[in-house]
Amino acid sequence: MGAIRVEHLFHAYDDGGREVRAVDDVSFDVEQNAFYTLLGPSGCGKTTTLRCIAGLEEPTSGEIELDGVAVVSARGIVPTNKRPIGMVFQDYAVWPHMTVAENVAFPLKVAGDLSGREIQAKVMDALALMGMEQFVQRRATQLSGGQQQRLSLARALVRDPKVLLLDEPLSNLDAKLREQMRAELRQLQRRIKVTTVFVTHDQVEALSMSTTIAVMNQGRIVQEGSPREIYLQPNSRFVASFVGATNFVTGVVDAYDDDTRSAYLSTPAGPLCCRTEHAPEVGSAVTVAIRPEALEIGYEHPGRENLLEGRVQVGLFVGDAVDYRVRVGDQVFRVTGPQRSRFHRKDAVVLHVPADECVVIPDDPEVPAGVQATVQDQGAR
Amino acid sequence: MAAGTQAPPSPPPPASTPMPRVRRRRRFGSRTVIGGLAILAVIYLVAGPLLMLVLTSFQDTSLGLVIRPPFPWSLQNYVDVFGDSGTYSAILSTLIFSAGSLLVAFAVSITCAWLVERTDLPARNAVFVLLVAPSGIPALILAISWSLLLNPNNGLINTLLRLPFGAEGPGPLDVYSLPWMILVQGMSLVPMTFLLITASLRGVNASLEEAARASGSGFSTIVRRITLPLLRPALIGALIYQFVTVVTALDVPLVLGLSGGVSVLSTEIYVASNPVGGLPNYGVSGTYGMFLLAVSLIPLLFYNRIIGRSQDYATITGKTFRPKTIALKRWKIPAVLFCWGYIALSFVLPMLVLLWASFQPYLGVWGLDALDRLTTAGYGEALGGAQFLDALRNTFVLGVAAALGGMVLAMALSWVIVRSRSRYRALVDILAFVPHALPGVVIGLSTLVLYLILPIPIYGTIWIIVVAMATQYISLGTRLTTAGIAQIQVGLEEAAETSGAGGRQIWQRVLGPLLRPVFLNGFLMIFLASIQNLTLPLMLGSNDNVVLSTLIWRRWDYGDVTGAAVLSVTMATITVIAATLLRRTTGTRGL
Repeated sequence: MGAIRVEHLFHAYDDGGREVRAVDDVSFDVEQNAFYTLLGPSGCGKTTTLRCIAGLEEPTSGEIELDGVAVVSARGIVPTNKRPIGMVFQDYAVWPHMTVAENVAFPLKVAGDLSGREIQAKVMDALALMGMEQFVQRRATQLSGGQQQRLSLARALVRDPKVLLLDEPLSNLDAKLREQMRAELRQLQRRIKVTTVFVTHDQVEALSMSTTIAVMNQGRIVQEGSPREIYLQPNSRFVASFVGATNFVTGVVDAYDDDTRSAYLSTPAGPLCCRTEHAPEVGSAVTVAIRPEALEIGYEHPGRENLLEGRVQVGLFVGDAVDYRVRVGDQVFRVTGPQRSRFHRKDAVVLHVPADECVVIPDDPEVPAGVQATVQDQGAR
Repeated sequence: MAAGTQAPPSPPPPASTPMPRVRRRRRFGSRTVIGGLAILAVIYLVAGPLLMLVLTSFQDTSLGLVIRPPFPWSLQNYVDVFGDSGTYSAILSTLIFSAGSLLVAFAVSITCAWLVERTDLPARNAVFVLLVAPSGIPALILAISWSLLLNPNNGLINTLLRLPFGAEGPGPLDVYSLPWMILVQGMSLVPMTFLLITASLRGVNASLEEAARASGSGFSTIVRRITLPLLRPALIGALIYQFVTVVTALDVPLVLGLSGGVSVLSTEIYVASNPVGGLPNYGVSGTYGMFLLAVSLIPLLFYNRIIGRSQDYATITGKTFRPKTIALKRWKIPAVLFCWGYIALSFVLPMLVLLWASFQPYLGVWGLDALDRLTTAGYGEALGGAQFLDALRNTFVLGVAAALGGMVLAMALSWVIVRSRSRYRALVDILAFVPHALPGVVIGLSTLVLYLILPIPIYGTIWIIVVAMATQYISLGTRLTTAGIAQIQVGLEEAAETSGAGGRQIWQRVLGPLLRPVFLNGFLMIFLASIQNLTLPLMLGSNDNVVLSTLIWRRWDYGDVTGAAVLSVTMATITVIAATLLRRTTGTRGL
């Protein structure tokens, strides 16, 4: 049984007579000790979902179970302060009138079942865990942003919660600190083994930290999977474009080879061979997603398959790579070239993409209407 | 399905998916109760007196107030009031008096605020402190001291002016006239106006002005096109706020106007309900009250709209680096003379004359021989008796009780306004604002009438003044607490909740301590305002609930100049110190 079970969660409110569903039938399970991420653009319902788990919002309907205990069900709602959670807020929410130690001690003090000495020991442990021992007697307001972040994490962990809820905890930190905290947070979570739900709009955070990612859009989970699955096998145009940069090519299926699981398409950019598990119907139109880093750029290429001929429009040197825009036919491709490559504007180049890197998107609403039904069929298979 | 591929999402449910409602739990049940009680209390405090005011104005009360049915309904009061040509001259006087004092107050305040905030005026901090210090002096005391300076018979300035010409008799200046009333009232408005304007001037993000400078605008263009338009909402807001203050002011019209036969609406109300001889006519008084209420409510309708709109001007950024100061150059000396001349005139001179009068046995002709008469006998007499001690105790009780009651109510109301998602919060917002629109004389009158009728035995005691005072200052308190509570991020509360704290623990450990400075600040402001207030204690006064301000007025009215001066000096000392401490501890944030 999972540590968190969310079932058919709805959160609707009335906006001038119109019903708006911030969360629209969301269900998921989180395994014990997993790092589960809700990823999506602002307004997709991820924060509302998290706040429903915390009890800071009341869902319109649905069920939530934390550690085997129903906290939201038809029988009623367990108030936030009775749930076995620890939460870190985007703006830290560190109490300015308390010292660092008092902030961390708060959850233990209000619980009221530990002696002063035990509380002090646990507070020191929690602060040591975050490398904050030297700030014990500081006032919370005298800390930097990063330190406040650690403090609020220590506070969330001090009473050994069953579930750790993180609401965009890194988004207020500067870029360097964010990268550092990313690694630290993940290591910490592994070490202390606490089931974590993490909300973010940052795909890099989601990909690097999670065991499972749920991509949300318009109140629904549109894809759930491991970071690799989400990135390498996006199931929709939305997921492909939200999680990382993507080039989209639409084409018509000419043939499908069952042995190699390869689909042969003709596209405006040229013929493409794509590896795909779901056999698309011959003659139908499909969308293919190609990551910029999957494209190899060169003046020539030894292969014969999946070659796109184009001209360089611009090359942006970004340090660890060169970000090229290459015009192929009517379409401009984004290509990540090697750091030392030097293709110039108007250079005629050849782009190559391995068949494995061409992801056929099974369920794409932007595919012409006539083929919609076939795609739907495959989805249901 | 092969491993490594993701199952497509299950088809989305049709839009009409039934959503069985989760059973609601009452969130913060105790808070809802407290909020509800506060709303009821305010409705009682505000609506009760208002209702009485309306009812009284429609009754024939020439034979006294009728407290049991049948009520003698009648329009006679309105016929009397609006058929009397005196009413129209009172209205005209009120308008001239208000417009004039606002002009004085704003001209002085805008000039000084701009000089202090944006130029290289020398000793800016001293100017600031000395301009704000008189906020501790009740207008009553200011009026008394100007009467000592300028009364036509033996006013100090008149005596000095007559000296070179050897002239005799009264004059040449007469403080008991409309122009001088305007000047004195104007000066008493300056400290608060000045504070309001400096605060908003500081709030204007300097980078907005710097952007204009970088766009090639000169100094006068910036003031005209950027600074003033940005300040407009704040200026209009302050203007309307102070308009209500001045139309309803009783102190200056009472001390200076009545003696000179200049009558304004507030004095008409006072005189009708506290006649020198005969029965008080509450009906006529109430009718004047209705009219005054209308006069002060109309601009407040605009005030709310302006305050609402001013949020579009995102001028308050919290960044407080000072914009480049403007060099005054050859205007420096005139500016210094203006500021310090004004301080001498509005603060130093009145205080000195009070001090002088307090050491004189009686108000005689000014001159060198008066030096021989210097005596401290006045202090012994005025401060020694039981009357003074009673007044002191009453004043203290009044200040503490009104401040405590007002702030508790204000806190609860602000809580509803800021945090609740109830659809009644807009109503509560208005409700909390209404008492500001109620002129002190109207609150005084209607509270008086209400407790003549209600079987609650507080008539004639200090508690009736406490109730009226708390009513009067709920708006002031709510302004402070709403801002204070809004500053506390909801996250701090939610963090406590997710840490396992229940409602009571959140209040005890998080909200209470965080709100303490706001509460203290508001408490002190209401305390100070209450002990300075003359209107309500005077309207609701009896022999048993004399406070310092009414004691001063009684002495003065009785002709005991020395006693009034001694008490004024004592009270001004207390209040100026208290006001300065208040600003020291809280900054000017409270305004």
